Order: sequence, then C-alpha cells, then structure tokens
Amino acid sequence: MVRSLWSAASGMKGQQTQVDTIANNLANVNTTAYKTQSAQFKTLLYQTLEATSTNANGDSKPTSAQVGLGTRVASLNANFAQGNQIATESQTAMCIVGEGFFAVQDSDETHYTRNGNFTWAINEQGNKVLTTAEGYQVLDQAGNIIAIPNTAGDLNFAVDPETGATSYKNAQGQVVQTGQRIALYQFTNRVGLDKIGENLYDESAASGEPLSEWNTQGVTRSQIFQNYLEGSNVNVADEMVNLIIAQRAYEMNSKAITTSDTMLEQANNLKR
Amino acid sequence: MVKGLYTAFTGMVNEQKRMDVMTNNLANSATTGYKKEAMVAQAFDEKLAIKIKDTSHWHNMPEKIGSISLGAKVGETYTNWDQGAFQVTDKDSDVALGGRGFFAIEFTNKAGETSIKYTRDGAFTVDVDGYLRTSDGDYVLNSDGALSSQYGDGYRVQIDPVLKYTIASDGTIYQNNEEVDTIGVIDIDNYDYINKYGENLYDLIPGGNIVESEAIVEQGMLEASNVNVVDEMVSMITIARAYEAGQKMIQTEDSTLEKTVNTIGRV
Repeated sequence: MVRSLWSAASGMKGQQTQVDTIANNLANVNTTAYKTQSAQFKTLLYQTLEATSTNANGDSKPTSAQVGLGTRVASLNANFAQGNQIATESQTAMCIVGEGFFAVQDSDETHYTRNGNFTWAINEQGNKVLTTAEGYQVLDQAGNIIAIPNTAGDLNFAVDPETGATSYKNAQGQVVQTGQRIALYQFTNRVGLDKIGENLYDESAASGEPLSEWNTQGVTRSQIFQNYLEGSNVNVADEMVNLIIAQRAYEMNSKAITTSDTMLEQANNLKR
Repeated sequence: MVKGLYTAFTGMVNEQKRMDVMTNNLANSATTGYKKEAMVAQAFDEKLAIKIKDTSHWHNMPEKIGSISLGAKVGETYTNWDQGAFQVTDKDSDVALGGRGFFAIEFTNKAGETSIKYTRDGAFTVDVDGYLRTSDGDYVLNSDGALSSQYGDGYRVQIDPVLKYTIASDGTIYQNNEEVDTIGVIDIDNYDYINKYGENLYDLIPGGNIVESEAIVEQGMLEASNVNVVDEMVSMITIARAYEAGQKMIQTEDSTLEKTVNTIGRV
C-alpha cells in the first residue's frame, strides 16, 4: 500500500514539472526565438512481487511478477524547430533561417542566441555598434564587434542573407562594404546547450564546440533575413492540450493516493 | 472459521498489490514507450477438506467433504504490449517503433557495469562525437550490435555529427544520400522472457531469443504510453471495492467468531 502511495506521489511530482514546463512555454509565447521545452519521463526501478510466477493456466513462467515504483522526469528537451518569421520595421532586426546561432559578447564572455532583435549603441570612439537589446555586442566572423561610423544613415544598413556581409551607405549615398560578416555558429548537439536566460545559450560539454558555418565542411548554412524576427515556436494549441493531459494525470495520481489511503484506513479499522 | 479469515485476508493482500501495479500505470501515463501492466491473481491449489473424528458416526472414519481453496496469490504481472500512439516531436533524433520490436541499448549502471538492455523509448540525442545516445547517456546499438548482442566501439550507432541525417523506416541512417549506420531494432521470440528493469529498459533472461524485427522506425516521433486512463480509473474503483468487500468479510467472520467465543461459549 505504501508502495502505491509513493508511486502515485512520483506521478504527481512528474506532472507538476510538466505543468511548470508548459507554463514557461506559454509565458514565452511571444518571446523572440524562444524554443519550446518538453519533459521526458522514465519508469523507476521494478520490484519483485512473486519470484515464481504462473500464468492464468497455472503454468510457471520464466519471469517473476514485478511491480514498478513510479516515474521520474529524465530530461527537459528543447524543440529547436524553426519559429515563424515576423516582419518588423527595424533595419537591425535579423531572423536566422536554419540551425545557426549569433555570437554575442559581454565584456569577455561569448554567448549564443537566435534572438536577432538588435539595435545600435554608440561606443567610446563615437561609432555605432550592433548590440542586443541588453547591450551584448554582436560578433563578426573574425570575432570582432560590428561597428559602423555614426554618420552612416540609419536606414541604409544592409546584411547579405547568404554571407552575412554588412554594408551601409555613406553621406554621398555610396554603398560601403564594411568587410565585416555577421558570424553564425552551429552546435553538434544544440539540445545540450546551457540556457542562461535572456534568450542566451552557452556552449557546454554536451553541446560541443561551436562550429563556424562559413568554414566548417558539410554544415548546411543558415540565412539571415533582415527586417524580420524569429517568433517563438510555442504552439499554444499543443500546450493547452498538454496542459489538460498533465492536469488530468495529476488528478488521477492524486485519486490513486486517496484510494490507497482509504484502503489503508480500512485495514486499520479491521480491529475495532 | 479462522480459515475464512485467512482466505479473505489473502484477497485483501492481492488487491493491495493490484493497486500497486495499477498506480504505477497511472504514474507512467506520460512515460515514453511505457506498456501498461496488470496483475493476474492465481488461486492457491485446492485442498481436499476432510471431516475427521466424527464420533457420532459408527465407523469413526475421516470423511471427505469436498475441495476448498484457501485464497489467492499473485500469479503474474501481465504486460500489455499494445502499440502506443505516435507523438510528433519534429526532433531529428527522436524515433518511435511501430510494431513488435525493441531498440538495443549499451547500458552502464552506477557501478560501471555494462550490459545490453532493450527499450521502446526512442528519445535519443546525437552527442558531440556523433554517437546516438539515450536521454540517460547510454549508447544506442547498431544492427550489428543488436543482433549479435555485442557492444563497445563499432557496435554503437555513430554518424557524422555535423551533417544532416534522415532515418529510414528500417532504421538505416542516411547522410548526403549515403548509408552511414543502422539503428538496431530486434524482437524477442517469447515475451515471457522479458524482465523489467525500470528506466524504460527491459532485460532479456536466458531462454528468450533475439529475432529479427519487422518494426517500422519513424523519425521525428515518440511512442506515447499505452495507458488508457479510463480503464485504469475503472480498475481502481474495482480494486477499492473488492478490498472493501474483503474487509467486510473479515469483520463478519470476526463477529461470528465473537459470538462463538462470548455468547455461546459463556461459562
């Protein structure tokens, strides 16, 4: 009896994590480039009820009669499916189509992101520097920050979708190639990236080293679409269905606890 | 009379165990590839009841009065291998099996001992070296490893981690239209020889044999648990009521006993 109490409790705990995950997905339904997460469940260990078991005809079976001890959350996996491309007015908005990540720098640390909601900041030299909304500087393929003179027209910054090459128009209206290309990296196992919040990821032992898209053999290169942002890939309908399932599963496990408790109570009341 | 008490008691113990098994199903209603289980009760061997030393009878010999069962015990825990529904995940490394079959896993326990286990949970990932691994980090075996029950380098599924890949319905992995490796899918000739380990894994015990599987491998999907919660709720009610009846039985037997001891046997 105590066994079923704990099994049901493990089920409730698992569903709680599931609901937490769903709630976080729903909260991020409008977060740029957010990737849906889902919980993976596994069975807990099995215990032997009867070492020698027999089938319905009374013939002995080779395996023992076993009972499982519940469930646990094995992992929370991110679904990296492409989000929608959402048009914006901003010249510095960029959407990655493909599996790449932008590299952004915070003083000396490099993080990776798919959130291309960039903006201009003015640095000490008076140049315009491409940064994220939080001020992380976007890196080019040489690992430098992307800077253009502050005299460059706001509306004339351009990014080549295939190569990431940046250009701007000078005061005379001529197109000037900066020679800087926006860097995109991929990861062997992007599910293994560490999430650090603010739409940023860090490389980890599980994700592997960043692979530069422009000079790694065999990598399918991504495209950068200027004037677009990548929407969250949360599917609200899916999440709602999952929420209902999780809530019902939670409820059922709690019913199992109540039932086990009632049975335990009856056992206790045998002696009046 | 005391015999009746025990019979009712074995019934209650059985219902309790049935409840344990059923609760495990409910707890695993969201577990990938989980197969629901049920407990089958088995009556104890019937005993011949004999009336002995009936002094009223002239020859004073034991007399057979028929057979009686002294209750029930756990017969087996039966696994329902019905196919679970396919859930679309759009993750390249997720695979689901349609039909009879298992993936073979090179499982390493906490003590560092390695053995082969089987699973229908295809929530895999590709690691930085290109090895296909389970969510707990165990290696997935290729067709050579799965069929020959060998593991280690060369028997693990490995692909080029950089390139895109597609998995065909027979488990073959293609990169750049070339065959690179095959996910091993096997079947077991007699499911009576499958032991549950937990962690979504099964053991094959001696006597059972690995055979080729005709299961279809579906990429970008996972197999959902085949627990039907409505069925489980109904069986939970049945169990609770059967348990209650057993309890009533014991109380009735007890009050009869009480009468015998306190009312009839008053001195």
